[in-house]
Amino acid sequence: MSSSEQPARLDARVSTGVPGLDAVMGGGLVPSGVYIVVGEPGAGKTLFANQLCYHQARAGARCLYVTLLAESHARMLANMRDMAFFDPALLPEGVYYVSGFRVLEEQGLSGLLELLRREVRNHNASILVLDGLVQAQEAAGNNRDFKKFIHELQVAAGLARFTALMLTSANGPNIHPEYTMVDGIVELRERTAGVRSWRELQVRKFRGSPTLAGIHAFRITHAGLEVFPRLEARVHRSPPPDPGAHRIHFGIHSLDALFPEGLAGGSTSLVLGPPGAGKTLMGSSLLAEGLRQGENCLYMGFYEPPNRLLSKVSSAGIDLKGAVADGRLNILWQPPAECILDVLADQLLSDIRKRKVKRVFVDGLSAMQQAAPDNSRMGSFFAALTQELRCEGATTLFGLETPRLFGPVLDVPMEVGPSAVAENLFFLRHVEYEGRLRRLFSIFKLRDSDYDPTLREFVITRQGIEVLPPFSVAVDTLLTGLARHPGSGHS
Amino acid sequence: METVLVVDDEQGILEALADLLREEGYRVVTASHGREALERMLELRPDLVLTDWMMPVLDGPALIERIRADYKDGVALLGMSAVDVTNLRRQYPDIPFLQKPFDIATLMRQVRKALDAKRR
Repeated sequence: MSSSEQPARLDARVSTGVPGLDAVMGGGLVPSGVYIVVGEPGAGKTLFANQLCYHQARAGARCLYVTLLAESHARMLANMRDMAFFDPALLPEGVYYVSGFRVLEEQGLSGLLELLRREVRNHNASILVLDGLVQAQEAAGNNRDFKKFIHELQVAAGLARFTALMLTSANGPNIHPEYTMVDGIVELRERTAGVRSWRELQVRKFRGSPTLAGIHAFRITHAGLEVFPRLEARVHRSPPPDPGAHRIHFGIHSLDALFPEGLAGGSTSLVLGPPGAGKTLMGSSLLAEGLRQGENCLYMGFYEPPNRLLSKVSSAGIDLKGAVADGRLNILWQPPAECILDVLADQLLSDIRKRKVKRVFVDGLSAMQQAAPDNSRMGSFFAALTQELRCEGATTLFGLETPRLFGPVLDVPMEVGPSAVAENLFFLRHVEYEGRLRRLFSIFKLRDSDYDPTLREFVITRQGIEVLPPFSVAVDTLLTGLARHPGSGHS
Repeated sequence: METVLVVDDEQGILEALADLLREEGYRVVTASHGREALERMLELRPDLVLTDWMMPVLDGPALIERIRADYKDGVALLGMSAVDVTNLRRQYPDIPFLQKPFDIATLMRQVRKALDAKRR
């Protein structure tokens, strides 16, 4: 059997060149497949198709880009010129643009099909893009003719061994029944809520392999499209490794003494507290101790920029500058506005895997929650995130700001219960006691470890956090923030 | 009246160029690819062929080759492309090129220049 007689191999996929998308598609497009990319104008269809073409052309493939739209090739290329993937040296041999508009107008679908077959052959193209399928659909007198066109294109793709991508405008939430004939349907969407908008991608159909199900975030930058597969769809299915006897301490003698066995390695913890209670210092202490133990650490923050953070913790005796300089500590700082939840997860997990990070402090769980346009997802997202963190053996502390400074009500601003995020719960609070504002530390829950349940005052000095001995007299209602001696009748 | 044959597969561009050149006083014929252009040339010999580079059926380079082979006494040629024409100018140093997108003044100047060069 000659090479030309070999059946198309489903395992040798056509890479799209869009980071993250091949993973969603189970490896990429299936060779000789015919795919539809559907989306509203501005969704990123043309950009996606061009990105794929230049990626393939760079690898030596030849791509034919046929337009049926009013946008001129010059305008399209002008729009691509600033994109990182665009390379004018690949034109015209690697990527060849022709218009099929006039042929379609004059000769209909049969003329267009003939043009596609002939031009693919003339240019020895392995990738065909047909931009403007909706024009072909309108030119077809009826659904039967349009289905016939798609069927004949599929036959041509199989015979001539090219992979076809047909771009078309969305028609509301439903996919045309005629489109279901193709090998795959990728939908690009831009959604808006209030003043915020975000982009989503969904593989609605894919023949040849399983895909990552559901809706995935993507963004368009100078680099082109970048897809962030939904974390829940790519989570490890196997249980995390047993941390064994590995235990984690904060490196603060008076704090570690409250739970001498420490935290389980690879566990997740949550520290709750109002602004200024000391969450950042507690997390930074955890990282500083990890650095002393020779572990790589990661700080993900949303509010204080790196320099301000380093200066703040330095004033409390925690010097992290050296570790940042030599790469043992990475500070991933994200301004909280317009974050994408899966981008945050991707950044977090990528750095953990790359540098084999063992301790993580996420300073601002609420900023992560705000990055999700759909709150109904939070439970499954955090379950997946904590599963991944455990599988990587990264001991993680999340900081979460509680809105009230004082008062009897404890608000936990989470869409899911804290247990979904953390095995261990710490609580910091301001308390007014004996005419002074004091900081209070308590442990709500600690898995697999004994702990001292007493409420403790702690202070922040130039040497860091110091947890003080238990109150010498009984004090009620400390957790309300308004403490009082039993029976005193006043706070 | 001088005749210009405009060849482009993009219908909108083809019609716009034809209208502009007619307004400027040229006789204009159009074709949407190289083979159609050669058929037009059998009917009416143009003074200038203004041709796109990437086209279906018969592309710009193939059209230029056929014109040079079949019309040895000379037809003025002017190429145009959305592709970076720097490379094309290197490959075809005797053919002027317009870089798409171009403005009307540049178009008219280059058309005039190509026709004048042919006359000399």
